Amino acid sequence: MAVLTIKNLAKTFNVGTPKASRVLDDISFDVRGGTFVSIVGPSGCGKSTLLNIISGVEEHTSGDISLTSDSGGPARMGYVFQDPRLLPWRSVMKNMMYVQNDRSEETVARARKYLDMVGLAKNADFFPGQLSGGMQQRVGIARAFAVEPDLLLMDEPFSHLDAITARGLRAQLQDIWAQSKKTVVFVTHDVVEAVELSDRIIVLQPGGRIYEDITIDLPRPRRQTDPTVATLQAEVLGRLEAMKTLSRTAAA
Amino acid sequence: MSTTMTPVKARRSTTEKEQETPAWKKRLTSDNAARVAALLSFFLFWVLMSALFERVPGPIEVVQRLVEEFQRGEVFGNFGMTLYRFGVGVALATVVGIAVGVIMGLSQLGRAFFESPVLVGLSIPAIIWSFLTVMWFGFGDLSPIITTFLTSVPFVIVNVAQGVRGVSRDLRDMSTTYNVPFSRRVRDLVLPAVTGYVAAGVRFAIIIGWNGVLLAEWFGGGGGVGYRARWWYDANRFGGFAAWVVLFVGFIVLLDRFVLDRVIQRAFRWRDASA
Ligand SMILES: Nc1ncnc2c1ncn2[C@@H]1O[C@H](COP(=O)(O)OP(=O)(O)O)[C@@H](O)[C@H]1O
Ligand SMILES: [Mg+2]
Repeated sequence: MAVLTIKNLAKTFNVGTPKASRVLDDISFDVRGGTFVSIVGPSGCGKSTLLNIISGVEEHTSGDISLTSDSGGPARMGYVFQDPRLLPWRSVMKNMMYVQNDRSEETVARARKYLDMVGLAKNADFFPGQLSGGMQQRVGIARAFAVEPDLLLMDEPFSHLDAITARGLRAQLQDIWAQSKKTVVFVTHDVVEAVELSDRIIVLQPGGRIYEDITIDLPRPRRQTDPTVATLQAEVLGRLEAMKTLSRTAAA
Repeated sequence: MSTTMTPVKARRSTTEKEQETPAWKKRLTSDNAARVAALLSFFLFWVLMSALFERVPGPIEVVQRLVEEFQRGEVFGNFGMTLYRFGVGVALATVVGIAVGVIMGLSQLGRAFFESPVLVGLSIPAIIWSFLTVMWFGFGDLSPIITTFLTSVPFVIVNVAQGVRGVSRDLRDMSTTYNVPFSRRVRDLVLPAVTGYVAAGVRFAIIIGWNGVLLAEWFGGGGGVGYRARWWYDANRFGGFAAWVVLFVGFIVLLDRFVLDRVIQRAFRWRDASA
């Protein structure tokens, strides 16, 4: 069943003013439950805007968007941002609880479980400022999983981290995802990352349209060292290059 | 064209400078030295003025009058009375000020609604409020309490509202995506983020509110520090009047230094932990 359905979605900022700019033009796709979908595209093509519309922080100008939840109630969402977005004046554990619906023992145990999964069980009482950037980002990831979301949104969550930390977290994300099988929409400008993580890659082109929808059918867990992964990464990268050349000639 | 070159000494490191500066020099240029110097110059100025003008009582006379007031048993009763009125007024101003400030900071509509009343409130001096409240509420505790409240609450509101408007957009968006309920957002996001502004607002409230309580007592005549100061003033005994002024100014300074400062430091523990 589709958890997320988007039909002819468009977004124009500053409608009706001279500054009006159309960022998303005509976006249609749906995401089936339990899949990991990446949205890839050059920077500035509207990826974050799309995620913000899905999460409800931003309003869309036209088109339809619908979310369904397993429970029948409003869809629960988790969001991992580019930066950790933790409350600096609350401990790690309190940050985990800040986004939870209730304070039950079960919920506390779940928050602990996910903190443990990202390797931060010992840091529950630390303030965010006492953790490294990578550790803070892990708290953000644990927080998102711990709400048991119907839909988990991630916006370039590793792009601010150094390469080694990012690689470690990607592997960790694969493991957690394999256990929880959440529905994920993952935004990145990094094709290599997208191929490693996703079941499906939606390529967004400048001007806010979908250029291509690619299914990635590779066994998991996927490792950088695996040659089939590397081959597919090279292929997708090639298609993206083709898109760039195309849009450049179109602009000229 | 000159051919000789003066040898230049290599620049000194901070450690070297530290070692070369004598201890007395370090002490003389410290912050505490500046504070002591300010106190000392004020004191000298006071002594000078009292020597020049007969109607300015000197430090010795003021201390004598103060001791006499203690002996008469006037100090604790009046001071306690004022403190109670002041405390209730400032507490009310803090609670109401935070509530209205949060509303003004979060909601466009709230801001439009409260903006003008707050501006008017800011511009009305304590003396006007004290006249009005004495007229309205007579000579009891109510007029000084309400005067303290009315003179100080706009300052709390303005500070808190400004702080709330500055709360990180990113953290607010995060709260929206996770559907965090309003009350929790206020408690865990907005209030901690505006602690500094609340502290500044309450500090203002205390200083301004002090004016309010004293003036209301001055005109109200229902006992208290302001009442007692006026009593000496009316009796043309400026030593007694000055004794009370010194007492309450000293109290405010101590309150600020030892209570407010510490509360603020405690509220910012998380910041020190990050360092
Ligand atoms: N609030 C806004 N008002 C006006 N323009 C915006 C706003 N947010 C984003 N944009 C514009 O929309 C475009 C897409 O931005 P964004 O979605 O952040 O791109 P991406 O995440 O793909 O890098 C950019 O050109 C950006 O300047
Ligand atoms: Mg972005």
